[in-house]
Amino acid sequence: MKDIRLLILTVSVISLGSCKKSFLEKEPDNRTEINTVEKVAQLLGTAYPHYGYLAMAEMYSDNACDKGPNVANTHTSTPYPEMYNWEVVSDNGNNTPIQYWNGVYEGIAAANQALESIEQYKLGAAANPYKGEALLARAYGHFMLVTFFAKAYVPGGPNDSPGIPYVLEPETVAIKKYTRGTVASVYKQIEKDIEDGLPLLTGGTWDVPAYHFTPAAAHAFASRFYLFKGEWQKVIDHANQVFPGGDFTGNIRNVVAETPPLSADEYQQWYNKGDKKFNLLLHETYSVYQRSSSYGRSRFGLGPTIYAGYYTKSSPAGTAFYNRAYISGTGNYLLYKFYEFFYYTNVNAGTGYPYIMLPLLTSDEALMNRAEAYARLAQPDKAIADCNLMASTRISGYTQASYGVTAAKSKAYFNVTDDQQAIILTVLDFKRRAFMTEGLRWFDILRNRIPVSHDYLDANGDVTYKELGPDDNRRMFQIPPAAQALSNLEPNPR
Amino acid sequence: MKFTAYGGVYLLLRRIPSQPKRIMKLVLLLTTVASLQLSASGWSQNVTIRLKNAPVEKAFSEMRRQTGFQFVYNTTVLQKAGKVNISLTDVPLEQALRTILSGTSLAYTIVDSSVVIRRVPVQNASEAPPVTAAQDNIGVKGVVKNSDGHPIPQVSVIVKGTRIGVSTDKDGAFEFKSISENATLVFSAVGFETKEIKVGSANETITVELQQAENKLADVVVTGYQNLDRKLFTGATTKLNAKDAQRNGIPDVSRMLEGQVAGVSVQNVSGTFGAAPKIRIRGATSLSGDNKPLWVVDGIILEDIVNISNEALSTGDANTLIGSSVAGLSPDDIESFTILKDAAATALYGARAMSGVIVVTTKKGRNTQGKANISYSGNFTTYLKPNYSQFDIMTSADQMSVMIEMENKGYLRPASVATPQNGGIFYKLYNQMYDYDAAAGTWALSNDQNLAGRNTFLQRYARANTDWFNVLFKNSLLQEHAISVTSGTDKFQNYFSSSFMHDNGQTSGDEVSRYTGNARTTIKISKKLTVEMLANASVRDQKAPGTLTRQSDPVYGAYSRSFDINPYSYSLNTSRLITPYDQNGDPEYFVMNWAPFNILNELQNNYLKLQMLDIKIQGGIKYKILPELQYSVDGAYRFAQTTRQHYIQSNSNMASAFRAYTNTSVIQDNTWLYNDPDNNNLPVVVLPDGGFFNIYENKISNYYFRNNLEYDKTFNVHKVNLFGSIEARATERQSYNFDGVGYNYENGGLVNTNYRYFKKSTEGGAPYFGMGKNWDRFLAYMFRAAYNYDNRYSFNFTSRMDGSNKMGKSRQARWLPTWNVSGAWDIDNEKFFRGGKIFSSARLRATYGLVGNIGNANNTAAVYYNRMSYRPYERETEPLTFISSLANTDLTWEKTKELNIGADLGFFNNNVNVTVDWYKRHIFDLISTIQTAGIGGEDSKTANNGLMEAHGFEFTISGSPLKSASPNGFRWRTQLNFAINKNRITRLEVAPRIWDLVKAEGGALEGYAQRGLFSIKFNGLNHDNGSPTYINEAGVKDNYIYFQSNDVDYLKYEGPTDPVFTGGFFNRVDYRNFSLSALVTFSTGNYIRLQPIFSASYDDLYSMSKIMKNRWIMPGDETRTNVPSILDQYKSSSFTRLSTGSVVSPIYAYNAYNYSDQRIAKGDFVRLKTVSLSYQLPQNLVNRLGLTAMQVSLVGNNIALLYSDKSLLGQDPEFFNNGGVAMPIPRQYTFSLKVGL
Repeated sequence: MKDIRLLILTVSVISLGSCKKSFLEKEPDNRTEINTVEKVAQLLGTAYPHYGYLAMAEMYSDNACDKGPNVANTHTSTPYPEMYNWEVVSDNGNNTPIQYWNGVYEGIAAANQALESIEQYKLGAAANPYKGEALLARAYGHFMLVTFFAKAYVPGGPNDSPGIPYVLEPETVAIKKYTRGTVASVYKQIEKDIEDGLPLLTGGTWDVPAYHFTPAAAHAFASRFYLFKGEWQKVIDHANQVFPGGDFTGNIRNVVAETPPLSADEYQQWYNKGDKKFNLLLHETYSVYQRSSSYGRSRFGLGPTIYAGYYTKSSPAGTAFYNRAYISGTGNYLLYKFYEFFYYTNVNAGTGYPYIMLPLLTSDEALMNRAEAYARLAQPDKAIADCNLMASTRISGYTQASYGVTAAKSKAYFNVTDDQQAIILTVLDFKRRAFMTEGLRWFDILRNRIPVSHDYLDANGDVTYKELGPDDNRRMFQIPPAAQALSNLEPNPR
Repeated sequence: MKFTAYGGVYLLLRRIPSQPKRIMKLVLLLTTVASLQLSASGWSQNVTIRLKNAPVEKAFSEMRRQTGFQFVYNTTVLQKAGKVNISLTDVPLEQALRTILSGTSLAYTIVDSSVVIRRVPVQNASEAPPVTAAQDNIGVKGVVKNSDGHPIPQVSVIVKGTRIGVSTDKDGAFEFKSISENATLVFSAVGFETKEIKVGSANETITVELQQAENKLADVVVTGYQNLDRKLFTGATTKLNAKDAQRNGIPDVSRMLEGQVAGVSVQNVSGTFGAAPKIRIRGATSLSGDNKPLWVVDGIILEDIVNISNEALSTGDANTLIGSSVAGLSPDDIESFTILKDAAATALYGARAMSGVIVVTTKKGRNTQGKANISYSGNFTTYLKPNYSQFDIMTSADQMSVMIEMENKGYLRPASVATPQNGGIFYKLYNQMYDYDAAAGTWALSNDQNLAGRNTFLQRYARANTDWFNVLFKNSLLQEHAISVTSGTDKFQNYFSSSFMHDNGQTSGDEVSRYTGNARTTIKISKKLTVEMLANASVRDQKAPGTLTRQSDPVYGAYSRSFDINPYSYSLNTSRLITPYDQNGDPEYFVMNWAPFNILNELQNNYLKLQMLDIKIQGGIKYKILPELQYSVDGAYRFAQTTRQHYIQSNSNMASAFRAYTNTSVIQDNTWLYNDPDNNNLPVVVLPDGGFFNIYENKISNYYFRNNLEYDKTFNVHKVNLFGSIEARATERQSYNFDGVGYNYENGGLVNTNYRYFKKSTEGGAPYFGMGKNWDRFLAYMFRAAYNYDNRYSFNFTSRMDGSNKMGKSRQARWLPTWNVSGAWDIDNEKFFRGGKIFSSARLRATYGLVGNIGNANNTAAVYYNRMSYRPYERETEPLTFISSLANTDLTWEKTKELNIGADLGFFNNNVNVTVDWYKRHIFDLISTIQTAGIGGEDSKTANNGLMEAHGFEFTISGSPLKSASPNGFRWRTQLNFAINKNRITRLEVAPRIWDLVKAEGGALEGYAQRGLFSIKFNGLNHDNGSPTYINEAGVKDNYIYFQSNDVDYLKYEGPTDPVFTGGFFNRVDYRNFSLSALVTFSTGNYIRLQPIFSASYDDLYSMSKIMKNRWIMPGDETRTNVPSILDQYKSSSFTRLSTGSVVSPIYAYNAYNYSDQRIAKGDFVRLKTVSLSYQLPQNLVNRLGLTAMQVSLVGNNIALLYSDKSLLGQDPEFFNNGGVAMPIPRQYTFSLKVGL
């Protein structure tokens, strides 16, 4: 009898006790674990910024002007007036710096997790291209943040002002403290990630390559990075590897040849399609920037001063670039470069998420990076050749004879005497025109310490100006208040 | 054995001599057992006795041992009998009795197998008998039955104060030929409570009902793990007998709790069968969790098939139909409910118990001497249709005058109503005017000069005054039939039952049937080993109007549900101008979603069929290792499956909308067409043919296993109970859905799909099918120690260790220990307590402990999910993995520390009982959303950040203040309970949007109630156009509200959405064979958002509230009214924002009005919930019918709302009219029949 009792007790305790480990280790739902190469690759689809920088960059730059109080149907909704005034934007909604900050770090978190999973599950050589992609995506994110939220890098300078937190591993606690490091330390880590990652990309395959860091996209990004660092030869070397033989012919946006017959919808889509060779890296980006209710009708934005006073005027090549614009009431211009994909969550209510397929890297930019580097290295012919390639795709009826770029024409256009300076100015001018509303102008302003002047019109049409000098602290967007408060980041001086 | 028992009685007798009544009961109790054995053994009735100088009792006990006869006597009588010296060998019993009793003042009577010893009346003045034999002696006969109406054999019936007694026969019958007219009869039997009845006039036939002993409120507490002596239990619980809570005609058992238990609030957010009411025990404890109590049926936790939070119960979505986990139980199978309220009571449930526990005990078999007791119960219920007098809806004439005003204001003109999404009579008017019959040269409606044609057309509708409730609702029949069979011996007991319920539905859109079966057997294999087996199954077949999931639109501030055809919402929302049939009596179609619509046609062609199967098998083994040590094991397996089929037939409006392709305007507007990004032409149809056959399926399989060891012993004045258990639960849920597109119902089930449908769904990120599984696993170790000293002081300690897989493979926070200490003091057992007639008993209780809850976050390790990329071109999309939440290694369980102090008081010999409880809760580590620096990659995270304080008070008074001693006399039982619960969020670092706080369900904000209702501050009507203005999110007067703003400082706090004060008042009076009972429920302290009825523009389909009659019409009206104007077309298109002057849509301003402080009502109500009148048919009539009992009842449920806020204008304060499958609780009347065979 005693034995039976003992048996019952023992069996019951053991039967429950022994299985407890595996019993409770069952995952509660269909959640994914990142434990194979395929899953790492899939995770990297979200390693890019989920939000865009277009409004930030354009409104800070000299691509924006005041349309004045007399232009009908304009709005002064946040964040456009604040950004035009280079003030701190406290809102965290669409097109704000806080939203972009969060969106970039969201992508970085995915990249870091991918890297950790590759290590943890020892995924080996098969994972190399994805390791490379993760490193590049991480470098890209931090590069964009340090550009917007810290002092511009000065080649040869100490660059010892605060950078931005460089995150190298997944966050595992609710609130974590970070430090900003310096601009130099951030650049060093970016360079390391690029140099480590680039060789690994070779041989990688992607289902939808336009949305991933392919070797071509990575070299385009590297050319941008070294342009900021002032390492011109590296700019050229990387730009040359974007296409075989460094040949951009037929690989950049041929606006004059391809777009004139397109309908409005088709024109917008043309810029953001993944099958276009010029789109080196696209990412689906939550955005309302493309809507007339955003930059299009903001009182501060692409107004007549810029549109008629610059954009549609003659370039250093001798004539205006071919362009298309849509006018939303007199004085409001939309360039229609972003096609909105509206993802419905509720068809009946008409609610959902607006997305644009934002080109993060294009071959046009890489070409212009190379052009500038050639100019800096005193190889004017090569620089001019690249400029001419650009001009041939932007100017209707382009011939070398009529609209070819020459040092002389450029010197006259910019009223400068130095050949090299004239060509560099031509490159920057071409970029400003070609990438109007695409945000790249702000990078050139930071890099070249170009002063920005914003005009203000009153009801009588009288103009006053505000200046943003090369050393103005307002060039740095402010660190989000939550990051200052919760992670102890020092704010930028104002 | 018999001796031991007898000796035990003897001992007790000496120890507490002041309680002779109890002794008598025990004697009888044991002697009944003894007499049962007589029939089994058939011993001789001769005795052999040799005794010297022994007490006479010794002789009796010896005789009893030898004969099996029971001896009934009063011990005080025997004390005068002296000692006996006898020596008898094999003499008949009667001779032996005569010998022993000769020379004493005692005499004997043999009644059946009982020997009743009594004192011989002595004829002198001092010892005169209380009644003389000559004085009005009467004959009494009757039947003794249990609460189900079945006869109880072997009941001892004793005339109080005498030794005269009989026992009942197998039909429960007894008879006294001659007893005193004023005699009181005492009825007692094993397993039943003793009852005293005073007999009345001569030759009376009485029916006596005995309550089962385990029903007795004060004796045993059922925790689901243990049945514990209340003396050893110190927590706050309330037991509710099914008999008292019974509401004939209400087939869902969860509604039996309404108004019955202090601290349990039951809100009927939907009355549709299967939709659970919102039940809260002591209010909400979590900010993000379900806040639903745990249901435990026969000791096994009942898992929900789908997890629907208390708040989501009011959405009206189709999955709320499977929200009530107990809907598969038949009310007739319920024995009792026990509500475990405080931390001590729920401690054994550890980490599942933060929201309270409801323990359901179902009926089990009894010892019926092998006889089958059969009961039938039938309910026949009819519903009352709602009618317009309850509501505040415009008549068709009033509505027409508004329409004409709108027409004058530029709406409803030919151009705008020609191709509308939704079109009523004006759409029809203009289209007929343009409908030219070339052959006849006539127009369908002539647009003549004097407008005669137009006026005739409109007049028909203006006079229609359609009664939609009459069209769509029915006085239908709900019938329930239940049969149960109880039988058993002392070795085994069975309970079998089966029930059938069918409801033709309150409206023409719904219908439900339910079948249940239940079998329960208890087998005593040996004195040590008992085995119990249970099986129950239920099948449900339900039809409901077709519905899709409700969607929130935070942009404009509105909720929407595509193709909502809920008959109740439709009746309330559809203009009475609209007619269901045309002049010829054919269904008349208007336009919804660009396609023809008729509600009757739609209800026939767009519906849900829900089928549910729920099976549970359960077994338990109890083994007594030692008399005081019991090992038991319980196991259960449950499988439930629901299939929801959504039939959308080809000619339904929903399918037709996919094909509405009449002209360019419709094609461009119709959102169900497909705009192919690879083809920039006009949108195209993706459902060219047929309709949909959509399937949703939910499955659950649940394993439960438990080992228990219980030690229970009494040493002198020390009572000890130790209980330990190891428990494992595993639940697997699967959900599955599938869009069956292009199904041709009329064409032999041909499936004709169009590839574009799939292309659209791929690009839109809306997959056409899905499947998900989840696994819920728990492992727990628990220990409970209870100690009682001298029936005066009790102490409890409980501890439990819970483990869960909720956190996945992460070891972090997998285990949570919970604990509880409590004590009770039975003051009435103290010497100093002079329990008088008025204040008869008192018990004080105090508990303190920690309970937990797993919480609504599971990211101790990072959580990833997959989705398709949001890209416009099919060849560019790819699957993506995204980080849903980063790891939070600090994550832990939600916890509550609770202090409860309570008292149980008895008055008037415990005829009136009062229970009071006060508690205070500190709720911490609540899962909430916090803002972060964003650097880790997640700018808002869920973390254990919230804090909440709650306190409450509960009061119950119950009893029988008037109780006639006569069985058929007047008796009154009453119970009043109420509870107060208040809570406040003391920390919540999250920034909610305005939209989250103003919606009807309320939102969470630091400093306010768990769910507070906030309003946009109304700031008068605009002088120029009568549109509403507000104080906007920046504190400025404005007519635009940014609903997604996080600036909520300028909202007005109205109050909590959950009632603060709830209660019920129950009364029952019995007189002769009649019984009348009524239940009134009441609640107060919460606020309600009125229905969103205002809009920037109205079409010619929707009904309007009569409030609209009082609307702003001309400047200056803003001083007289707060009801916004109907904006004219011009003012609507040039609507400018007050604060900035920019053009803005008036939709914001008008929608915001629905969420302003103008659209608020108090939730207070007093409701007459149930009135029931029963009649027990006379016994002789019942017997003539060949039955043992019969009772008929008339029951009214949900009879009247005695009080509610006037501004509700007919809206039910409990019901959220969110469309879908939600339906209010109807008024209903039931005829109920109960028969015992």
